[in-house]
Amino acid sequence: MYAELHCHSAFSFLDGASLPQELAATAAELGYDALALTDHDSLSGSMEFAQAAASVGIKAIHGAEVTLADGRHLTLLVQRAQGWRNLCRIVTRAHARDREPDPPPTSVELDFVLAHAEGLVCLSGCAGHGVEDLRTLRRLLAAFGPENLKIELQRPFQRHDRASNRARLASARELGVRCVATGDVHAHAYCRAPLQDAFVALRHRTTLDASEPLRRGNRTHVLAAPAVMVSRFEDHPEAVTETVELAERLSFDLTADLGYRYPGSEDEFSDRKLAELCRHAFDDRYPEGNRHRGQALSRLQEELRVIASLGLAGFFLLHRELLELARDVAVEVRGPSSARSLLPPGRGRGSSVSSIVCYLTGLSHIDPIENQLLLGRFLNEELTALPDIDLDFPRDIRAELIPRVHERYGRERSALVAAFPTFKVRGAIRELGKVLGLPPGEIERVARAADAWAREGAEEDIEVALGRRVSDSSRWKWLSKLCDEAWGLPRHLSQHSGGMIVSTQPLIDCCPVVPAAMEGRQLCQWDKDSCADAGFLKIDVLGLGMLSAVERCVDQIAQVRGESIDLSRIPFDDKATYAAIQDADTMGVFQIESRAQMASLRRTRPETLDDLTIQVAIVRPGPILGGAVNPYIARRQRVREDPDYVVPYDHPSLEPVLRDTLGTIIFQDQVLEVAMAFAGFSPGEAEGLRRAMSRKRSAAAIEAYHRRFIEGARRTNGADEEMAERIYSMIMGFSGFGFPKAHGAAFGLLAYQSTWLRVHYGPEFLCSLLNEQPMGFYPSDTLAHEAQRRGIEVLAPDINASQIECSVVAEPGKPPHAVRVGLGYLNGARREEMQALMAAREEGPFRSLADLASRAGTGRPALELLAWAGACDSLLPADAQDRRTVLWQLGITAPGERVPAGTQLSLPLDAPRPPALRPLAGWEKMVADYTTTGLTLGPHPLALLRSELPPDVVSIRDLESLRHETRVRIGGLVVARQRPGTAKGIVFLLLEDEFGTVNLVVPPAVYERFRLVVRSEPLILAEGRLEKLPVAGGAINVFVHAVSALDAPLAEAAEVVDLQARAATAAGSAQPGAAGASPATAGGGDGEDLAAPADIHDFRGVAPAIQNFAGGRRR
Amino acid sequence: MSAPRRVLQPRAARVVEDESRRPCRIGKQVVESVREVWLVEDRWWTDSPLRRRYWEVVTEDGCDLVVFRDLQAGKWYSQRD
Repeated sequence: MYAELHCHSAFSFLDGASLPQELAATAAELGYDALALTDHDSLSGSMEFAQAAASVGIKAIHGAEVTLADGRHLTLLVQRAQGWRNLCRIVTRAHARDREPDPPPTSVELDFVLAHAEGLVCLSGCAGHGVEDLRTLRRLLAAFGPENLKIELQRPFQRHDRASNRARLASARELGVRCVATGDVHAHAYCRAPLQDAFVALRHRTTLDASEPLRRGNRTHVLAAPAVMVSRFEDHPEAVTETVELAERLSFDLTADLGYRYPGSEDEFSDRKLAELCRHAFDDRYPEGNRHRGQALSRLQEELRVIASLGLAGFFLLHRELLELARDVAVEVRGPSSARSLLPPGRGRGSSVSSIVCYLTGLSHIDPIENQLLLGRFLNEELTALPDIDLDFPRDIRAELIPRVHERYGRERSALVAAFPTFKVRGAIRELGKVLGLPPGEIERVARAADAWAREGAEEDIEVALGRRVSDSSRWKWLSKLCDEAWGLPRHLSQHSGGMIVSTQPLIDCCPVVPAAMEGRQLCQWDKDSCADAGFLKIDVLGLGMLSAVERCVDQIAQVRGESIDLSRIPFDDKATYAAIQDADTMGVFQIESRAQMASLRRTRPETLDDLTIQVAIVRPGPILGGAVNPYIARRQRVREDPDYVVPYDHPSLEPVLRDTLGTIIFQDQVLEVAMAFAGFSPGEAEGLRRAMSRKRSAAAIEAYHRRFIEGARRTNGADEEMAERIYSMIMGFSGFGFPKAHGAAFGLLAYQSTWLRVHYGPEFLCSLLNEQPMGFYPSDTLAHEAQRRGIEVLAPDINASQIECSVVAEPGKPPHAVRVGLGYLNGARREEMQALMAAREEGPFRSLADLASRAGTGRPALELLAWAGACDSLLPADAQDRRTVLWQLGITAPGERVPAGTQLSLPLDAPRPPALRPLAGWEKMVADYTTTGLTLGPHPLALLRSELPPDVVSIRDLESLRHETRVRIGGLVVARQRPGTAKGIVFLLLEDEFGTVNLVVPPAVYERFRLVVRSEPLILAEGRLEKLPVAGGAINVFVHAVSALDAPLAEAAEVVDLQARAATAAGSAQPGAAGASPATAGGGDGEDLAAPADIHDFRGVAPAIQNFAGGRRR
Repeated sequence: MSAPRRVLQPRAARVVEDESRRPCRIGKQVVESVREVWLVEDRWWTDSPLRRRYWEVVTEDGCDLVVFRDLQAGKWYSQRD
């Protein structure tokens, strides 16, 4: 009756308010047989749309609405494979200049479209921006032909529709082509129509009130039933018939006709080459006499056989080639003589680590035989998609490797995988609140109080933050509705953390490729799921902060102590290292440093690398929701206390596969093993079950596996239905994210190595962590305080002693004992200014403030920043060191001035004596520290407040001696806030005072009562009950009943005003490329939590960025 | 895409409509033909949202009139730009 040939999804980015799957599902419900997706200059949603349409049984037609250089639109639809290739090239071309400085709007020249017309059908474009002039239409007709050019008629119920359609009809007659009706759909349901209006305003950076001429003005852009469309076009029945005829002609199927091949897939000798490579390495890894040699050989033969049968040898060779490339890059980046040269350029993670072929070709560093790793998940004979190989690299090597891969395989044949950041609550509140014209201050208050990761519930956030009912105001009510509707829709195109795809034929024939934000990189328009569905070979080149930190650390140790460390040969049974792990003394190390990991370490008490393999995998949604964590920990404690304890198994067939994890499912591969052992699944079937579980869109597929599982369990093991269901539910519980064992082994090893470095080379390790920020769970402030408590001295930045980066301080002949914070740590410090300062210092240390001002080559803002941070204190006599004096004196010196040719230096005239100034001390000094460097090295904020706290407030040191169940009041700085989705609404706060950290447990009811304080106050006073259970292994928790904010001492707070204004000036002059990481602005992720202008009376504005409700500091 | 233009203040009108809600008589004038129909659904975020179906018609005596039906209240108004 009618097929919709013009439809936008949210992948038109702010010009479409529904996901492709929502459009496909609604179209099927409404009775459509075919639907086209035609996003603006984008095919980002096409693979998702193809998959969704197939699953609901409608025909997916692919296309795009492309923007021409003059701003007009053409709707292009793919008829056959050549058309898809041409469309990909057209869209690629449209984005080619997107990243130029001052880029032109995304658009493509008409000539380019005309030259790529083959296999495409052209519709003349939408009612507002379509091509209407006969001259252009004639050119289109010449290129596309009368069969493949259609004049588009739309009926958006605007004032002059009918007249416009009559004119278009006349053009069609004149040209001898047919008309086709389209709906220009922008939403799948009425509930999204307001969101589309809001998106239009957002796209034009204006408000709904001001954007009336830009909006559609009604809701006819919602997908309507075919019958409705027929009646809408009652004047043009032939244009309706044409939709169906055209839809039938468009035969391209994206799920089958893509024609992608990876490099090496066509090499007929690849099997032999791979086998030779493996045998060559085999004798090195498993020399004669090695106890695993026999087993390893048969495993190798088996793997090579499976690889050959799947035709995947080329795939492994390609990866090896990539690693070789990485090796070259590593030598260049690290320098040939660096201590880091002993380290491999990167390491495998994920399930590929379980393969002996990967181990022998250098793709993995874990011996799969020694570690008893199962291959099935990575590689099995029923494999339908290419396996993943994930490689972790230090950040600097990764940054260099990515453009090198583009060079190696050609810019047309390689690209990074895209990612689509989606609307989340806070961003939605800020952006949509502005569109609705709500007061900015109130929007910000609501956004800050909102649960950043909640699926919906903006209404509650608004009510809590504003203290009034949402239903009292239309605009706030709409904000809540719009936020809920927008949640999860893609916001824009971005870059995946490291996935790359390479191809034998030009990639731009498979998928549009667009320039990435970083120069030298380019992105394909598909995300990782779409790339996997397309069968693209994806190589994950991931940057891992901890690998960078570990490498830096090894380098530092070589420099400071002259020791060369090969991390693969350190002792793996070091008592001191395991003692630290068992005491949860792990802040700063890889993976096992988080609050939850620490709590669990005290109970599991890992003793070997195998234990650590389990440990890193345990605090994951999969094991937690699968109900594995508590039984595992309890059984581990029982086994330790009672050697005769017999681990219970639900069924004897599970014992061999779950023995290591004491009868619980901790690893992803155990899901496969259980399905195989208990329900008789083949490896391919088991992997199919795992995949079905991990993707949301496959409820029907999961149900089919469910039936097979129950039936298989009965047939294989004679299990009754009740038991089979119980074990199936264990597996289903795991469906969230979990580690494969191989991944656990790789991460467990790095966790051990980093702990070993922390235990034996504390200052170097701390220094590397500070230099690699942002990474890990804790901000640098917390890391520094903890190091101070362990006896490592952390020294403030100093104009004559600091380097640009943080550095280790050692006296000759003695081991290092201290870390000096670098000048690059100052927020807003510009790298070139700091470099100029270093260069000036090489001619001799700065002797006075006047000397500094005249020689430093830096402007006044940078000098003031240094003064505020205390970096110039040492230039004053020891008894007169004070930041206010420094500022006063610097204020009357004449620093060099910036002139076009560089910095014009001033004369080093001594500054006069300052008047009597009140020294900057106590609270003010601490706030100055946080403002300038994001950390304080003097007294802890709590130590400064301690004397003003009520007398019954205890410190964390006091908790040691108090009894279980004691009621306590405790104050501290919040260093982590989490509300894990798996914890039934409980919020965990990690509180720090001058003596240590303690875990606060905030039950849901308490959280609801004190939500604003819990969510946003950095300094709090909590009242609760002490919990010290023997089963917790010495861990102390406080169960909170009430919580309030701690305020700064009032008398001093007012003094901070000027400081903030000045710091803002200094920070305002910062350019991209400012030296070093700036921890105070580092948190957030997704740009959502970027620091808003600080409330200048307040510590809140400068408190360090922390792990906040799983929003994450970036790793 | 051209959006609806602002028009003068609407005045209540006596309109007789047929079963498909098409106006057949406006005041004393009989509608001869419909030139255009359009729809305005806007200002939904405010306390006074708009939902109107506009008709531009030609009457028997040759007048071009614009009337709309307020879809919320179900009442007819005339409006002239």
